[in-house]
Amino acid sequence: MAEFSTSIKDQGNINIVYLKGFLDAHTAPSLENTFSGLVDKGRYQIVVNFKDLNYISSAGLGVFMAYIEKIRENGGDIKLSSMSEKVFNIFDLLGFPLLYEIFKTEDEAVLKFNEKK
Amino acid sequence: MNESEDLKAKRNLKALVELGRLINSSLDLDFILNNLLLTSLGKFLSTRGFIALKKDGCLKPIAHKGIDDQLLNKFPKISNQNELKSDEFKEYLNSIKIVMLDEICSSQECIGIIALGEKLNKIPYTDDDAEFLHTITNIGATAIQNSLMLTELKKTNRILDSRISRLNSLFELSKEFGLFSESTKVARLLVYSVIGQFLIQKFAVVSIDGNNIKILESKFPQDELLNSINKINIKLITNSLLKNEIELNYKNLNKLGVELIVPMQLQGETKGLILLGKRANEIDFSEADVEYIYSVGSLAIVSIENQRLFKEALEKQKLEEDLEIARDIQRNLLPHKIPQFKNFDLVANTVFSKQVGGDYYDVISLDENHFCVAIADVSGKGVSAALMMANLQAFLKTICKQGMKIDEATGLINDLISENTTEGKFITFFWALIDDETKQMLYVNAGHNPPLLIRKEKITKLDKGGIILGVMKTMIPYLSENLQLEKDDVIVLFTDGVSEAMNQNGEEFSDERLEKLSVSLTSKSAEEISVVIQNEVSKFAYGTLQSDDITLMIIKVK
Repeated sequence: MAEFSTSIKDQGNINIVYLKGFLDAHTAPSLENTFSGLVDKGRYQIVVNFKDLNYISSAGLGVFMAYIEKIRENGGDIKLSSMSEKVFNIFDLLGFPLLYEIFKTEDEAVLKFNEKK
Repeated sequence: MNESEDLKAKRNLKALVELGRLINSSLDLDFILNNLLLTSLGKFLSTRGFIALKKDGCLKPIAHKGIDDQLLNKFPKISNQNELKSDEFKEYLNSIKIVMLDEICSSQECIGIIALGEKLNKIPYTDDDAEFLHTITNIGATAIQNSLMLTELKKTNRILDSRISRLNSLFELSKEFGLFSESTKVARLLVYSVIGQFLIQKFAVVSIDGNNIKILESKFPQDELLNSINKINIKLITNSLLKNEIELNYKNLNKLGVELIVPMQLQGETKGLILLGKRANEIDFSEADVEYIYSVGSLAIVSIENQRLFKEALEKQKLEEDLEIARDIQRNLLPHKIPQFKNFDLVANTVFSKQVGGDYYDVISLDENHFCVAIADVSGKGVSAALMMANLQAFLKTICKQGMKIDEATGLINDLISENTTEGKFITFFWALIDDETKQMLYVNAGHNPPLLIRKEKITKLDKGGIILGVMKTMIPYLSENLQLEKDDVIVLFTDGVSEAMNQNGEEFSDERLEKLSVSLTSKSAEEISVVIQNEVSKFAYGTLQSDDITLMIIKVK
């Protein structure tokens, strides 16, 4: 079974979530736990770094849809960064750029959060 | 031909070659059109012009110079070449001061037009000019065609990519659905896949199990959703419902924001629904989208249904194991061997029902001349009934040897049972102490079917006693009755499994039938009486499922 893991780095009020490996139907619950953990703690400013993500399926994308509303209702956002071209294409194909800000680098995404203040 | 014309021709040729090289080196449509237009304007010293291309069967201006956007927006609808010559179009061209027009034709068809305004020096376009413009458009046509084809190819590729992505999802899900053990997990995965694919934020998955509607997953307000769904007959939703149908026929769901309902079907029967809100990109669901969601739903429902059946089988198995254990306990509680007595011929046995009933009987020797008989029916079935029976036996075996008075002993047993039972459980109980020497019998009946004492074809019902065991602590003391038994007296003790045995018409064997039969059998031995009654009961109930234990004890006085 494909491996997938997440790790979180706190950077002030911003939480950077690093994804690694294959995010598919099988591993989606793991990301779900990560998000719900952050939401439970009231940490709504999230940058997801895709640098080490090799693959994402629609079930994986669904996790982003499932949490975005709650997070935005609380004044937060999920910003995406550092996608490989392959991963970006999947996001692009399904129209995600319409709903999510996608940045080339983690720093740009973090900066965007800080700008707002 | 003079020299200056020669030079002019050379310059024109050079310009054409350059243009050709430039625009053919790019596949970017804007770049190509821009250059084409600029080259033409430069060549003819014109300040305005546009290029319109055929899109979805109509001409649409794509690139323009020196013409107001607003004026271009009024571009008339032109779907064939004849309309280029229409008055309406001529009028329009006049209004934007266009005087020169050429069609851009590829090898197969006309793909658009190029239009130019008057020359800055007001000199009209000559035939040579027209021919030159045509050469330019010919060169441009190939480049435009190539670029359009690339765009089309990209579009097709994207559609293909999206199809592949959907197929991948389906494949992935079918693998996962086989692994997950809980329907809620399956539902969640189903939902994630669909909302990820279609950019949906509000959704719900409901399943139907018999008449029960279960919300497996919901981002709509749960209570309102359940309310709305309970008002409709889900089984009648056999086709996917789009927004307009929901607006029309399911107003409550429409109010919640449901824009698509897709049934989850198994063998043509609707077993659940997927309800989806609007897409974040505001695009309507296409037929292919709905079909995809239907496929995912079908995959999921198979998995959900399998899990349900598996659970059901597991529970049934557990229940059967439970019953098996109970049956073992019950069998072991009944006496393996019935003692022999001087003056009494005693036979007892139980025919167990498939489900465990709570029948119990016992025959306990107290001393050389005394023995105790008991018959009981514990309410409920399964292990709990068997354990209660075990309790009763333990109390009985202890108490009957204490030399207590039988009525007081019954009160004590009742207190003990009451303390040890859960609400609503009880035991009907009859017991008697019999003197093998004097043939005296002292009994107490705690709510059990009264045993029949038959003497010379006359029946006495042994019903003295009190309340059934286990309902409440003893408030009113139990009564006992002392009887002097005589030779050839027959006592028939039984449980309701005998009197309430049903035939195929739903009639009970009944007390009357049992009494009449018993009276007719008094000349026979206890064993024979027992066998005949049992045979009659089983004959009566032939073809029906025995739902309760049948216990019979016959005591005949020698």
